[in-house]
Amino acid sequence: MSAEKTLPGPAPVPDPAEARGAVAGYLGGIRDVVVLEMKQRLRSRGWYIMLGIWFTVIALVTALTWAGWNASMEVRNSMPVPDGTPQPDGPGSAIFEVVLAFVLLFALLVAPALSANAVNGDRAGGTLAILQVTLLTPGQILWGKFCAAWLAAIAFLAASSPFLIFAVLLGGLTPGHVLVSLVMLAVEVAVICGIGVGISALAGRPLFSIVVTYLTVAALVVGSLIAFGLGVQLTQGTIKANQAQYKAVEYVPGGSPAPIEPGYTCEGPLVEHDVLRTERVAWLLALNPYVVVADAIPYPERLGSPYYYSGGMIENISQGARAALAGPEGTYACANGKVQPQYLQQTTPLWPLGLALQLGLAGLLLWLGWRSLHTPARRLARGTRIA
Amino acid sequence: MSVAEMPETTRAPLASGVSAVGVSRRFGSVHAVEHMDFEAPAGQVTALIGPNGAGKTTLLLMLASLLQPDSGVVTVDGLDPAQDSAAVRRRLGWMPDTLGVWESLTAREILVQIARFYRLPKTGIDARVAELLALVRLGEFADQPARVLSKGQQQRLSLARALVHDPSVLLLDEPAAGLDPGSRVELRTLLRNLAAAGKSVVVSSHVLSELDEIADGAVFVNQGRTVKQQTIEEAAQQGRRYAITALDPAALAAKLTELGLEFKAGSGRRPSVSLMLSHDDGAAALLRDLVTAGIAVVSFGPASGALEETYMSLETERK
Repeated sequence: MSAEKTLPGPAPVPDPAEARGAVAGYLGGIRDVVVLEMKQRLRSRGWYIMLGIWFTVIALVTALTWAGWNASMEVRNSMPVPDGTPQPDGPGSAIFEVVLAFVLLFALLVAPALSANAVNGDRAGGTLAILQVTLLTPGQILWGKFCAAWLAAIAFLAASSPFLIFAVLLGGLTPGHVLVSLVMLAVEVAVICGIGVGISALAGRPLFSIVVTYLTVAALVVGSLIAFGLGVQLTQGTIKANQAQYKAVEYVPGGSPAPIEPGYTCEGPLVEHDVLRTERVAWLLALNPYVVVADAIPYPERLGSPYYYSGGMIENISQGARAALAGPEGTYACANGKVQPQYLQQTTPLWPLGLALQLGLAGLLLWLGWRSLHTPARRLARGTRIA
Repeated sequence: MSVAEMPETTRAPLASGVSAVGVSRRFGSVHAVEHMDFEAPAGQVTALIGPNGAGKTTLLLMLASLLQPDSGVVTVDGLDPAQDSAAVRRRLGWMPDTLGVWESLTAREILVQIARFYRLPKTGIDARVAELLALVRLGEFADQPARVLSKGQQQRLSLARALVHDPSVLLLDEPAAGLDPGSRVELRTLLRNLAAAGKSVVVSSHVLSELDEIADGAVFVNQGRTVKQQTIEEAAQQGRRYAITALDPAALAAKLTELGLEFKAGSGRRPSVSLMLSHDDGAAALLRDLVTAGIAVVSFGPASGALEETYMSLETERK
């Protein structure tokens, strides 16, 4: 074995080939940790059972959604319909939305189980110190654990992709929808895995870190909505606006015409109106994984269509979130005397902010976890042993 | 490699082998290790001896570059683990007291992964792993999941894992625990061979009689402090307790009293007496005297190992 010794003296000039070798070595170490973790995971039967249950449940949800849609169509077709009523897009978009929401829910539930005992489980089993005493760096151990947890979670997403593809085949959607939604699901799962691995490196006991990770997921999904709802009450403000004069809208049976132009004009002097300045707390909403995923998925522009279309769930979540981000300046009728676009005009997306906040949280936890894996260790978490 | 002489009194770190000078480490309010000195020169087996909770494992963790001492200096082949951890780890093999195995992996896979973590050249890994599996007699279990291995087999796997990268310093925390007698003999031979190959071997154990056979030197620790550091020769020099049994205990007792020797009745199952003898020559002379005096001596031998003698004397001093 070659004995390498760092010699004191002038710092060596970094050689590009050497730097490449160092990067390859670093990544190789991560890969080796992933190989170890995956071998350990893939050989446990529980994992396959969970995957099987997951597949079955999503198949059931898809089948029920499809059956439900068919039943409602039968009822609809049995009634006389006046000419000009738009035909719905087909079952594709409805199934897609339900399956997507379901897959995200399950992914949020599965990811902590796959990640939140990655480090302290090894510590309890006495295998962490064995890794730490090798040439692996804390970063390699942590990234390896993270990648293994993420890959396992991605296997679950892969198991659900047939149903998303099925939804596309039923019509109404493009393959791009599936691609974007799968990418966003994978990113959300990565965020949860990062949070889980980070917490597992910080907490002493696996049970504790798993519970804390689930609570964090609950805080992101439910807590963000509650916080937004409560926070909005504290954002009382005023805005200068004048009077909106609404035009008469022609009644069309079976659906209302999409207002290509907003159906009002702004007249009169600017007066202070009490409003809720939702843009100040929109970031809370952005933390929600559902908001991030829904907002990132593109939906068709329907401005040109002659009829107002009641958008799907994804579209509504996205538009609602974007309206919160725009605040009264962008949504209040006749704010600053300007006519506000009515529909599908909230073009500033919220998901980049949400994703940045989520990645920031996961990154912070991973960084803290990375610090706690440093050896020789100065401080140990209370009640933990290094080996 | 030349066998380093154990210096009389050192405060300077060893250039080869592993040493700790004045190290302290506390966990919260518990002082696990307080100003401990330890050295294990290359080419020798050094025993680390002390009662439960004496700080042995904490000291080994500091030597193994896993724990940073609050104060004091640890060196491995003259290198500081905190400054140069990669170089230190390349030289260091550590076998923990807790058995950590990846249960779903086979013994062979575990060793291959560890070899990769040490960045051994990929082409040599398979041969090296096969060699180690043969060394610890796990060849026939090589492709079984680690969870089916018995405790002793896992212990041997753990030893093989510590040896994967051919370290120059070997730290073994209770390596003999759970081993069957045959494996203990093999472990003894293996450790002697490693020391003969110039490696510094540190063994912590409770089984003192066994350490007599393996160790060149011993460091006694208690309550987080180094109590005594001695070589086996020194331990043997200090005299040890012998146990004698005879067919007629009364005659034996009479003869010993006649010779002016102080003795006490033994605590064993058979009626025996034990007494302190300062050196082996004295023991031989006493046995000859007893036999020529017509005492039917049934057994005559050391009642305890040399290290055990030191250990027990330290225990008594403490009380």
